[in-house]
Amino acid sequence: MTTVILAATSAGSSNPILPAAGEIVWSVLSFALLLLLLGKWAYPPVKKMMADRAAKIRGDLDAAELARTEAQRTLEEYKEQLAQAKRDATHILDEARQTADALRGDILAKAEEDVAIVHARNEEALRIERQRVIAELRSEVGSLALELAEKIIDAEVDRAAAQTLIDSFISEIGATRA
Amino acid sequence: MLFAGINFPPISDVLNWRSIAFNGSPFALNKVGLITLVAAALTLLLFFAAGRQGKLVPSGVQNFVESIVDFIHNSIVMDVMGQEGLPWAPYLTGLFFFIFICNIFEVIPFIQMPATARMSVPAPLALMVWVTFIVVGIRAQGVRHYFKNAIIPQGVPGALLILLVPLEILSNFIVRPFALAVRLFGNMLAGHLLLLTFAVISEAMFVKSVGLAILPLPFAMLTALTGYEIFVSALQAFIFTILSALYISEAMKSAH
Repeated sequence: MTTVILAATSAGSSNPILPAAGEIVWSVLSFALLLLLLGKWAYPPVKKMMADRAAKIRGDLDAAELARTEAQRTLEEYKEQLAQAKRDATHILDEARQTADALRGDILAKAEEDVAIVHARNEEALRIERQRVIAELRSEVGSLALELAEKIIDAEVDRAAAQTLIDSFISEIGATRA
Repeated sequence: MLFAGINFPPISDVLNWRSIAFNGSPFALNKVGLITLVAAALTLLLFFAAGRQGKLVPSGVQNFVESIVDFIHNSIVMDVMGQEGLPWAPYLTGLFFFIFICNIFEVIPFIQMPATARMSVPAPLALMVWVTFIVVGIRAQGVRHYFKNAIIPQGVPGALLILLVPLEILSNFIVRPFALAVRLFGNMLAGHLLLLTFAVISEAMFVKSVGLAILPLPFAMLTALTGYEIFVSALQAFIFTILSALYISEAMKSAH
């Protein structure tokens, strides 16, 4: 390389270090123009775009964080609501069970009461019927016995006196049976 | 010139370019001037294209521009200057893009010339950074305080100041802009000449039938160096920008 430089300088060419005046003018002009235009029009939009993007990303991140917190809060709420609903359902079931138990008890008691009433009523009807039947039988048996006695002894008997006799006789039979 | 059978072009052929417009005037436009114009135009075009796309999920040009803007914002402005450096972000972004594009023309086929390999680009840029940090320092601290803080180190015995003050003046106000310019210029010029050297050797080997056997070596070096120079282009742009940020940041702070 030294050879190259020496060769060049010895050949009488211009100095490789000192530049031409025109070059200086154009380089200064170019850079001054670049700084002016870049600083005024070219750089700010790019920087603003980058700052806007950074702000947008920051905003999006904040919004995402907010949404996540909100979602977490909602989830907690839903969980709480679900737990409350479960508690309510258990409570309602318990109440229903208690009500059903109470109702069943009532219904059973009522049914037993009804059964007892019906039973008593039937007993009473039976008793009345039996008494009626007994009275009828008593009357019928008396008549039949009387008729039979009349036919057997073939004699006229005092009907009223005979009836009294028969009644006392039947009463005695009834008392003995009871 | 012919050297060991290889025809190296004179350095003026690869550094000093003929005027293509305004010949003879101070505005004479040559290849280097054109590259600086294209670098400025391309930077603006990239930013306008990125700004126009405005997609939520960036892709293509928008992605490229946004990545670099983001990189400069985080790795240069925030890391070096902090929150108070934010107003300087457009200036530093412009500086980075301009230098990087001027550098990258080194490996663009048919152009193959880094504009920064001519002092006409790094020197005015370094000069501008120099003026900027001095003006910023004076504005932030006042003339007296700024120069006092810049050239008198704190907590140093008086006797040492005789030695240190000239060194600080040299370091802060002379070496800084000079090193800024020379670092960029030297790296890009060296890279340009390296690529040129290996390209010339490759060509010579290709032309000479004997050289065909070892052609892969210089050509492989040329390919590898092209990749390396892409890296250097970005690195030098980054170094220039981060040092500019550092100088401005130092000037803004009152403590030395």
